[in-house]
Amino acid sequence: MISLQRASLRYGDILGLSPTSFDLGPGGGITGLLGPNGAGKSSLIQLLCGLLPPSGGEVRVFGEAPYRNPLVLARLGLVPEGDRFPGGMRGDRWLRMMGQLSGLQGRALDLALQRALAITGMESRAGQPFTSMSKGMRQRVRLAQALLHEPRLLILDEPFNGLDPEARLQLMDLLRMLAEGGVRIIVSSHILGEVAQLTDRILLLFRGRLLAEGSVPEIRELLDRHPVELRVTAESAAAVARWAVEQDELVALRMEDGGAVLAVRNPRTFLPRLQEAVVEGRLPLAGLDPLDLNLDAVFQFLTKDNQ
Amino acid sequence: MTSRALSALATVRAVALGYAPRVLQARGWVLCALAVLPVAFSFVGLMIGRQFGSFDSRLALHLFHGVLAALVLPIMVLVAAPGGIREDMEQRTLPLILVRPVPVWSLPFAKGLIWFAWGGCWLAAAGLGLVLLGADPGSAARQALALVLAFWAELAFMSLLVLVFKRGTLWGALVLFGWESILRVLPATLQRFTFLHHIESISGSRGGMVADWEILAQEQIASPVLVSVLALLLFGAACWALCGWKLQVTPVGLAGRDAEG
Repeated sequence: MISLQRASLRYGDILGLSPTSFDLGPGGGITGLLGPNGAGKSSLIQLLCGLLPPSGGEVRVFGEAPYRNPLVLARLGLVPEGDRFPGGMRGDRWLRMMGQLSGLQGRALDLALQRALAITGMESRAGQPFTSMSKGMRQRVRLAQALLHEPRLLILDEPFNGLDPEARLQLMDLLRMLAEGGVRIIVSSHILGEVAQLTDRILLLFRGRLLAEGSVPEIRELLDRHPVELRVTAESAAAVARWAVEQDELVALRMEDGGAVLAVRNPRTFLPRLQEAVVEGRLPLAGLDPLDLNLDAVFQFLTKDNQ
Repeated sequence: MTSRALSALATVRAVALGYAPRVLQARGWVLCALAVLPVAFSFVGLMIGRQFGSFDSRLALHLFHGVLAALVLPIMVLVAAPGGIREDMEQRTLPLILVRPVPVWSLPFAKGLIWFAWGGCWLAAAGLGLVLLGADPGSAARQALALVLAFWAELAFMSLLVLVFKRGTLWGALVLFGWESILRVLPATLQRFTFLHHIESISGSRGGMVADWEILAQEQIASPVLVSVLALLLFGAACWALCGWKLQVTPVGLAGRDAEG
């Protein structure tokens, strides 16, 4: 269904997405697109839904290049991030226009509207102006516009942002239901916990690169296995070294003025111990800097995953 | 599920009807007021003036050239044009339309059409309303036609400017209030490249005669009515076509105008 061969995206001099390759087969299911802000998730989404052409490489969706391609766009639904509604319009009228622009008309359009509003629970509230809708209601309308034409591929960019816990759970249930109905769903998020609740298949992006692809446990294991470098700044470099050599995760140690650079495996267990040592006064820590990109990603994961 | 591309006509229809309620909001009523109020106020003033016995038969002509054509029309264009496709870019709603199977080039015209229809109706009403101020019906009809056609051309031109340039409104204002205002000192050939020249040609009257002291003034020329009508129609159509071409060749990301990472 989706195939990227060294597809990249540049915004002038800025690289939004490095050459990336992956394939997603046909059939329903949910794939998580995970990465911190600025990781390239939106860039990838814009390539997939044909808003922007790739700067290099090839993007194929339903076997076709998606950029401004009606054959692809007719089978694709996008729920973009953020509030995007024309000011002063009513939800139902706007949805009707979106349905017409998807090629629906007459009885088919009426049925599609009823169906999309029923799925999103907006049957009785879609007649309100956007300005008087709550954020959750607007999110539902955003989802409804993407479902009108019964797309086979549904792409959601940070759909859980700003939703209360109940609305999040409802949206997750809805996405699971659609996926079981054969819709391929791609959900972007910067929070691992959210995506992990929805799917086991994840594409991990960071700073415009596809870092990993696989299940949540596989990615966690991959990140844990990969040695990462930490610059530990402290009043006494010797004290850092003394503490560090006692840790099982230490792979290498390099002394520097005012601290040491530690190469460690399994940061998920190492970092809490480091924190404990600092709290107990065994490690006179003044600063902690990750030295490679993957560690940044680990930090993102650990931070978000524990929320 | 549908899997076919929408025709340009169906796209224009859907967008124009979908966005039609927008004309009943602030921008739309400003357009209405701009067109109608000068005539309405003049009519009220005329009624009061008649009571005191004073009546200026040239009022309608002066109002048409000095206020409606030279001032109201450009302001209406400046108000209406940003409500077109530019608005969707700024509100970041354009990507939601661009992920539909629609011909992208038809969108600027579709969005501009509602503003042209709305503003054109009120301009026609204002032009025909000049009858109330003493204009003969034939002249008023030609004046109304001139206003509507000029609105068509100027709105398309301004829509193109705001689509192409970040400061398109400023450039448009310079053209509509700067270039147009020097009509009297332009050589004959260049006069044809002003909207006012064609408005005057279609309406069959001039904004004013050249006075003796205007030493830079050039000979005023007139174009045949049909030529001016065609000139405005074709210029507007060409501008809408260029708007469509510009949007068609411009990748628009989720951020609207400028793609984001």
